[in-house]
Amino acid sequence: MLDLEGLTPREALGRALADLGDLRKDVVVLVADTGETTRARFFAERHPERFFNVGIAEQSLVGIAAGLALAGFMPYALTFAAFMTRAWEQARNSVDRLALPVRLVGTHAGFADAYDGPSHQALEDIAIFRVLPNFTVLVPADSCEVYRAVTASATVKGPVYIRVGRDFHIPTTCDMYDKFEVGRAYVAVEGKDVAIFTTGVTLPFAIEAAQLLRDRGISAAVVHFPTVKPLDYAAVEKYAAATGAVLTVEEHMVHGGFGSAVAEHLSQTRPTKMAIMGLKSYGRTAKSPQELYQYYGLTPENIAARAEELVRLR
Amino acid sequence: MERGVSELAQLACKARKYLVLMAGYDPGMHLGSSLSVIEIVTALYGTGRVKFNVANGAHNRNYFVLSKGHAVHAIYALAAAMGYLSIDELRETGSLGSRLQNHPEVDTPFVDVPNSGSLGQGISMAVGLALGLRLRGEPGRVYLVTGDGELDEGQSWESFAVAAHYGLNNLVTIVDLNGVQLDGHCEEVLRKGDLAARFRSLGFEVFEINGHDIGQIVETLEKAEKSARPPVIIAKTIRGRGVPPIEDTAKQRLSRDDALKYAGNIC
Repeated sequence: MLDLEGLTPREALGRALADLGDLRKDVVVLVADTGETTRARFFAERHPERFFNVGIAEQSLVGIAAGLALAGFMPYALTFAAFMTRAWEQARNSVDRLALPVRLVGTHAGFADAYDGPSHQALEDIAIFRVLPNFTVLVPADSCEVYRAVTASATVKGPVYIRVGRDFHIPTTCDMYDKFEVGRAYVAVEGKDVAIFTTGVTLPFAIEAAQLLRDRGISAAVVHFPTVKPLDYAAVEKYAAATGAVLTVEEHMVHGGFGSAVAEHLSQTRPTKMAIMGLKSYGRTAKSPQELYQYYGLTPENIAARAEELVRLR
Repeated sequence: MERGVSELAQLACKARKYLVLMAGYDPGMHLGSSLSVIEIVTALYGTGRVKFNVANGAHNRNYFVLSKGHAVHAIYALAAAMGYLSIDELRETGSLGSRLQNHPEVDTPFVDVPNSGSLGQGISMAVGLALGLRLRGEPGRVYLVTGDGELDEGQSWESFAVAAHYGLNNLVTIVDLNGVQLDGHCEEVLRKGDLAARFRSLGFEVFEINGHDIGQIVETLEKAEKSARPPVIIAKTIRGRGVPPIEDTAKQRLSRDDALKYAGNIC
């Protein structure tokens, strides 16, 4: 077995692409002067003829990936998530409207690039890719899941957006399940009083919050959604019904993201007492993502407090 | 299917006539832009370089990317002139139920690289396609037609730099240089500088021609196809050519009466 836990998320990404390149000759990788920073270099070293650097030009990155897809390839285009969002209209018009098998991989997402500050911290990407009709949106939690999600993405017919961090991750999913299935949620903790739904790197925070809640006599379920679109509606409804209180947690704006996706569905099928935790403003420069989670209140303690509040209000 | 220059010129003329007629039925079409590019489009299809009846999914062929997608009516008009479309269908262009939409869309016939209406994006797709064909070992070429106004888009130059860097001589770029964009003459809206020099400095082989001289277009295509570097043909054209009231202006539309009147004067 690969030592995935020991890899950083971007290293797991590079490894997954290199391995995928062995299995599939139609996989090509493109970067926007980000071969090193995204670790796409791992792919380039093994498959140099199928690796293209288009320079610091994200719109061209996405458009050229679309052209390669028209020629019958399955392109993975990688750059920082914050800059991938610059090519949203290209993702819409050149990729999504043709439903091409282009995979856009946004790295350094959320607070992962603490050093470079808010200009480099994508907190809107889930929202803007989720709104495109044909896009699948994958938000893995740790290196194991990055590897599995990237590998599984090759089976998706249409376009995919994959959100990846940089170096920070708390290994959580490696032993949580055996097989990554696109569109499936995974239960991390069973519970009956409140359901904490999470996506991406906040999964371990939610699990810790559930432990804090247990000490206070509250039974919280933690359900992890590495696929934000298509959302696992069955899991959403099941845990909403079982608990009557849903708290969503994400390293993303509270508007338009994962929590919104859950709310959109529940409001139309099973109106449920809900709270959405995430960000409402841009980030800041810091020495580490952990400092930012603290500063912006994305912590186990805060998650537990919001969940407890929901239970009291239920 | 070899056509001589005079036969191609006749085809272009017939297509120009159809374009003007269409303007009488489809107020949403960009007549001026289509009229400027009609000889270029005729040279590509009329010589069999690109075909109207392409096999879906096959990569062993040439591709045509009309990045200035608003001129897609030039393709429809030529398709009718060459017998691939009926005049009745042409008349329905731009109607809700018609497959002849006002920009190249997914279900538009004859267009193998759709969604090029958003300017600059067709250029990137053409570059990706040329890169992909070369990677597959396919001998086919990608013919890319872009407008001069379109070159305002930064994305255009992002991708031309890639074409030059990777030496994509299987990409034949043709700039329809009609000197007019939405808000007026390019010189007033946004100066393009020395386009030939811009392309040359990136590493392109540049050809400058009269874009309404079909013989010159075909001759230059033959030279461009032998180029070791990515070739670009800068074709000087007149927007709205053939319809005096809109020639060399930003106007794109005609009334039904004017369309019928001017169509009668062509060919």
